[in-house]
Amino acid sequence: MTAKKSGSRLETEIERCRSEGQWDRIPDLIRQLSVKLIANDDLAELLLGEAKLQQYLKENPIKQGASPRGAKPKLMEVRKHLTAALDRGNLKSEYMQEASLIMAKLNYVEGSYREALSNYFKVGLDDLQLVGIPVYRLSMIAEAYATKGLCLEKVPVASPVSNRHTGREQEIITCYEKSGDIALLYLQEVEKALSSGIQNRSPKPGPISHEQELGFFLETGLQRAHVIYFKNGNLTRGVGRFREILRAVETRTTQNLRMTIARQLAEILLRGMCEQSYWNPLQDPPHQSPLDDPLRQASNIEDYALSRRPKVYAGENIFCPQENTEEALLLLLISESMANRDAVLSRIPEHNNDRIISLQSASIVYDLLTIALGRRGQYEMLSECLERAMKFAFEEFHLWYQFALSLMAAGKSARAVKVLKECIRLKPDDPTIPLLAVKLCIGTLHWLEEGERFAKMVIDMGEKASEFRPKGYLAIGLVYSLKATDASLRGVQEEYQRKALGAFQRAQSLSPMDHLAAFYLALQHAVSRQIPEAVGYVRQALQLQGDDVHSLHLLALLLSAQKHYHDALNIIEMALSEYPEHFILLFTKVKLESVCKGPDEALLTCKHMLQIWKSCYNLTNPSDSGRGSSLLDRAMADRRQINNMTLPDFSDPETASSSSSSISGSEPSLHFFISSHHSPHSKSDPTPKPSSRHFCDHAPGRRASSPCNPPDAYFHGFFSLFSVCSVHATSVAASRVEQALSEVASSLQSSAPKQGPLHPWMTLAQIWLHAAEVYTGIGKPAEATACIQEAANLFPTSHNVLFMRGQVAELRGNTDEAKRWYEEALSISPTHVKTMQRLGLILHRLGRSSLSEKILRDAVQVNPTSHDVWNSLGEVLQTQGHDDAATECFLTALELEASSPILPFTIIPRAL
Amino acid sequence: MWPSSPIHPLQLIQNTAARLVFSLPHLSDATPLLPSLHWLPVVARIQFKTLVLAYRCLNLSSTLPETAIPSYAAGLKDKAALVSALYRVIQEPQSEFLEPVCHQLFEFYRSGEVSLQRFTLQFLPEFIWSYLSICTNRDLHSTGCREALLLGIYNLEIIDKDGQSKVLSFTVPSLSKPSVYHEPSTIGSLALTEGALAKHGLSRVVYSGPHPQREIFTAQNRFEVLTFLLLCYNSALSYMASASLQSLCHLSTGVSICGYPRQLLRKYKGVSSRMPVSSEFLVQLITSLYYALYNGEWDMASKALDDVLYRAQLELYPEALLVGNAVKSSLPGGALKSNKEGTRCIQVEVTATSSRISRNAVTSLSIRGHRWKRNDSSENSIDIPDSGALSVPEISVTGVLGERVGNGETQRSRGEGEAQGGQDSGADSRDAVDLTSPEELMEVSEMDEGFCSRAASNASPPVIIITSSSGKTPGKSQRKSGSSRAGKEREANVESCRDHLSRKQAQRAMSENLELLSLKRLTLTTSHSLPKPDSVSLARTATAVFSKSFEQVSNVFGANNPASTGNTTSTEANRYSACSLQEEKLAYVSERTELLGPSSRHKQRSPSIGIQLSTDL
Repeated sequence: MTAKKSGSRLETEIERCRSEGQWDRIPDLIRQLSVKLIANDDLAELLLGEAKLQQYLKENPIKQGASPRGAKPKLMEVRKHLTAALDRGNLKSEYMQEASLIMAKLNYVEGSYREALSNYFKVGLDDLQLVGIPVYRLSMIAEAYATKGLCLEKVPVASPVSNRHTGREQEIITCYEKSGDIALLYLQEVEKALSSGIQNRSPKPGPISHEQELGFFLETGLQRAHVIYFKNGNLTRGVGRFREILRAVETRTTQNLRMTIARQLAEILLRGMCEQSYWNPLQDPPHQSPLDDPLRQASNIEDYALSRRPKVYAGENIFCPQENTEEALLLLLISESMANRDAVLSRIPEHNNDRIISLQSASIVYDLLTIALGRRGQYEMLSECLERAMKFAFEEFHLWYQFALSLMAAGKSARAVKVLKECIRLKPDDPTIPLLAVKLCIGTLHWLEEGERFAKMVIDMGEKASEFRPKGYLAIGLVYSLKATDASLRGVQEEYQRKALGAFQRAQSLSPMDHLAAFYLALQHAVSRQIPEAVGYVRQALQLQGDDVHSLHLLALLLSAQKHYHDALNIIEMALSEYPEHFILLFTKVKLESVCKGPDEALLTCKHMLQIWKSCYNLTNPSDSGRGSSLLDRAMADRRQINNMTLPDFSDPETASSSSSSISGSEPSLHFFISSHHSPHSKSDPTPKPSSRHFCDHAPGRRASSPCNPPDAYFHGFFSLFSVCSVHATSVAASRVEQALSEVASSLQSSAPKQGPLHPWMTLAQIWLHAAEVYTGIGKPAEATACIQEAANLFPTSHNVLFMRGQVAELRGNTDEAKRWYEEALSISPTHVKTMQRLGLILHRLGRSSLSEKILRDAVQVNPTSHDVWNSLGEVLQTQGHDDAATECFLTALELEASSPILPFTIIPRAL
Repeated sequence: MWPSSPIHPLQLIQNTAARLVFSLPHLSDATPLLPSLHWLPVVARIQFKTLVLAYRCLNLSSTLPETAIPSYAAGLKDKAALVSALYRVIQEPQSEFLEPVCHQLFEFYRSGEVSLQRFTLQFLPEFIWSYLSICTNRDLHSTGCREALLLGIYNLEIIDKDGQSKVLSFTVPSLSKPSVYHEPSTIGSLALTEGALAKHGLSRVVYSGPHPQREIFTAQNRFEVLTFLLLCYNSALSYMASASLQSLCHLSTGVSICGYPRQLLRKYKGVSSRMPVSSEFLVQLITSLYYALYNGEWDMASKALDDVLYRAQLELYPEALLVGNAVKSSLPGGALKSNKEGTRCIQVEVTATSSRISRNAVTSLSIRGHRWKRNDSSENSIDIPDSGALSVPEISVTGVLGERVGNGETQRSRGEGEAQGGQDSGADSRDAVDLTSPEELMEVSEMDEGFCSRAASNASPPVIIITSSSGKTPGKSQRKSGSSRAGKEREANVESCRDHLSRKQAQRAMSENLELLSLKRLTLTTSHSLPKPDSVSLARTATAVFSKSFEQVSNVFGANNPASTGNTTSTEANRYSACSLQEEKLAYVSERTELLGPSSRHKQRSPSIGIQLSTDL
């Protein structure tokens, strides 16, 4: 009784060892078994033979592609065991089958393929049961199919008829596919048995962690089929096979295989497929596909039937990719998570090789991820993925660089600069990297000191930087030029301007073909009021790049500085024909028109601008959402159009970031308040009326005073637009800090952070302010106030808004109010020259001339090129009785006025 | 195009024939005779014939019946002479055939028949190139037809069948959702980052569109339109003939190097002035080149890729550089020679499936595996509550920030540490592993184990301590779910574990929130130029904001509630998938909100939260 019991226990133990591939324990167990049951002799022979064969294979693994060697003494032993078992024929039929299968395998190992094939034929491989058999037999059958495929590949085809040939190929592939499927099934079963074994067995500290390895045969079975498909150029079937393997539920043993195959499939999806030739994993593949090699007509491969198939991932609403990029991404993410898990972290020299391997496999995956996400423009997500790669990145330039670039592309400038610094350390003689850093520094970040350092690095490279050398000079020139604008001391300013000019000249001489060098040289001359030189260089720039918007704009400003307003307007018109939606050009146009064509034209242009604004940003889809991880980055993320539209006065970082907080929450409701015909002014109106008309009611006085004013029609149209574009006061509620805070918070936390770019709103506010200015110019305070109100709804704390309010108050003759507004504006932006000038004049009018003089002198310090300020200062000094000084001021003003453009040259953005 | 050698003999024959007609001597000059006979020279004759053929082919289609169009389209593609003749027409700056050809190609595109559209599309690179080169030469008069065709295709492509603006979007797959290829539970711990939270579900992302209708090309919209056209071209790449891919390579090279020193290096003739480009345009070019590389045009495409990268460097375009570098570094080392048939080079090999990384190397997995193993073997201890540990159970929440990596050269920012999440468990415990014995690690897990079991026995709420310098990471929560999976006590224990987990999760999420908020607050206050509100009101707002944002979080996860309950009922023999566990955790977050709200408000004043800004880059 005990013997029997222990015998059955032994049997299960043997079975377990066989299924888990613990061949070294078999001989031991057999010894125990044969002690107990003599009748098991044949079985023992079989088992011994199998164990020895497997041990042999473990010690002498067959290399892929290499053909197995001939007979070896060890193999002779195996053969002896097996023939003994087979010859006696006492075994049960399933053991006989097993013996034959092992025999066939042995034959293959010894190189006698035909015999192996005949063995398989005798066993009837296709008739073997798959249901209700022990686990190890699954593996045996899988190996048998793989071996059969290998043999078939080795044995030459009997008759060279091509039809026969394709039939043979078909048979081989079917063998491998069956082998692969059964192998997957086997692995799943083993895992199931293992995990249940852990649960059922008593706390026995067995070597559970024993990692199973796929042998040569199973590996071949799993992979050879798709390799053949791809070799034959049959991409469709190959991809199908890949997907079958991947869809099977993973086991611990298949993880590496899955990682590789997922990556390979992603490669194929990205390299060989396009959206139109894609079919999704649950669809049938297309009959005809451009992916397949047309030269080799794929024979109709029929599907085979297996009584059991490996378990696949299934479920109610599992995600199934619908596009090749989606599938590639999914596969890459899976592959990435596995590659990440294998990241070798230790740095000791023994693990160097391992580390290199893990790094390589990971960096392939990350490169593919970059390709997949890059073509879809998802840099935000890409930067997050590459961030995960940083654990591999120690001293790895490529990963660092890619990470930096992705941060840059995602608009996370501050971090990008930091990462670029590390890149520079790793690769000090690549001029591109510091240049990229400069680009960021003088762009959104405005880190001029850092920028200067990076630019100097490029210049210090000297000849090594070759083609990038002029770029380096350009960069440092820009840094100096921006510093000059920022500087508050006149001496410093001039010093920087001189330096900038020198750098630009150097850049231009080094690369005479670069229009940017010529353009910035011109701009720098213009800023220093050397108008003729500037004109010369801007012409040069235009010759190199005829339709460069900034050069055209600069030319127009230069012409206006020479007081050729009509020519300037013509240039602007010309530029606008190429850049119809360029707002800075339009602002200049408004200014020019109000000078030389009168306010009506200017107002028309304002209206036109509002229309353009609406058509431009109405289309912008709000789901172009930022997904940055850091709030700071996001606030600064204003990447795309920062080059072509920097607004002159909203550009200072303080206002920008504060307004970002106030506006960020309201962006998604853009459509809402554009469509809501609800102007804030209707509040003053007790009876709500169609807003397109209510302005006519609103300003009856004006109509009465000028009943037959032709431009009135324009005003109508303008105001109809006014109401269309106006921002609903309550929906913004931006003046309240608390609300803004909560809005930012909720927009951060909600699943769809619709953080739009800021500048559309800045542009809109700017348009309203321009309109207000035109109205002030023609003495219409009511309309101007309305316009200012619109701007104030967007940016209540902008000094520009406050300044305009002051102007209107002045127009109304309300000096005290004007003074108050100007003071508020100055408290926000203490160096706003225009405000200083107005405030100085008002103070002067109020009789406080010494304070006025002080303020005007400050203004002159800040901006020595403003002729208005000099003029006012002259007036003040004159009344104070300093006639000499006053004369000097007037002369300076006169001189400056002769070269002053209609808008400051610095509104032209300076960026690399 | 036509090498002179095979044509020359023909020309001699024609000359002889002409002499024969006029019965002139053998050595007399035949050239003046040909015009008088109204004969074209052979070269011209060939050209004429092909062009006539092209014209006929193209104009035939308008007279075809509807049903014959597909077969006609299929045949069209294979007419090599026709295609090459068309290329020639497009290349010529001013060809009299250009207008009818453009017209016909546009008609093809408008027909809606897919294969006809592809026929037109294959000429797109050539059209773009000829258009751009003419543009740069400022020869604006002769761009007419090309411009019209390009804009025509663009305007057709930007709208869908119903005439609505087309918006191209795709779903960003997420590992936290089961897919046909994976199950979230097997992937391992997913970092619970802000990004992960925001993208808990699958989200659709728009990558192109909506685009406005365009009537003319301006300098402003030129590259916008061309980029979109290339996007359309790329979506049909597999159907493009090799001639089209070659002209694409040509386009890439031309656009990138014209007017730059490299042009002289390449001895590349053509336009000599620089062409403006845009970053997105270059990215689309690289995408097509990537395909061309692996589909028979290795040599040309790799050269073109180099040129595009060169230009991207000069222009300092990060996007193009990013993708270009990735393509370049993923190329196999040795040049893949296109095989004789000149088709594809996509190759796969049978690879060894066993891990190539030796067992004793410390990897992210091995660290986690270590803990798992320990877990499995120590499951007995769960049965007996560890009464010895009398200390109040601690939940330590990782300070998500400030994890400076030991080898200090990396300045990791707060955000990074956050995003690293679970995987980081490897990174920051690296030092620990290298320096200390593994036992220490186990001790850590043991302590947690103890807590787990005891949480079942004493139901007192644990004291929550937020530390900012703990070495523990969320990776552990995953491990814990493993422990619950393996645990023998069914409901009670698992329940308690989950409870514990959820609390931990909530705490963690909250600490993140707090941190974000503090960050936010600071940004706002520092950047605000108004006179600052006094600190009291600020604090008030901050708390209000806090609770609000927290509600948001709970709402997000509340949506998952029904699903998670469904999951729990289906008790698949003590296998709680980590997914369901996670969802439950998240569901718990919403319940805990009330409970934790006050405490968090209390915590807000603790210094561990306030300092975060310093680590931000």
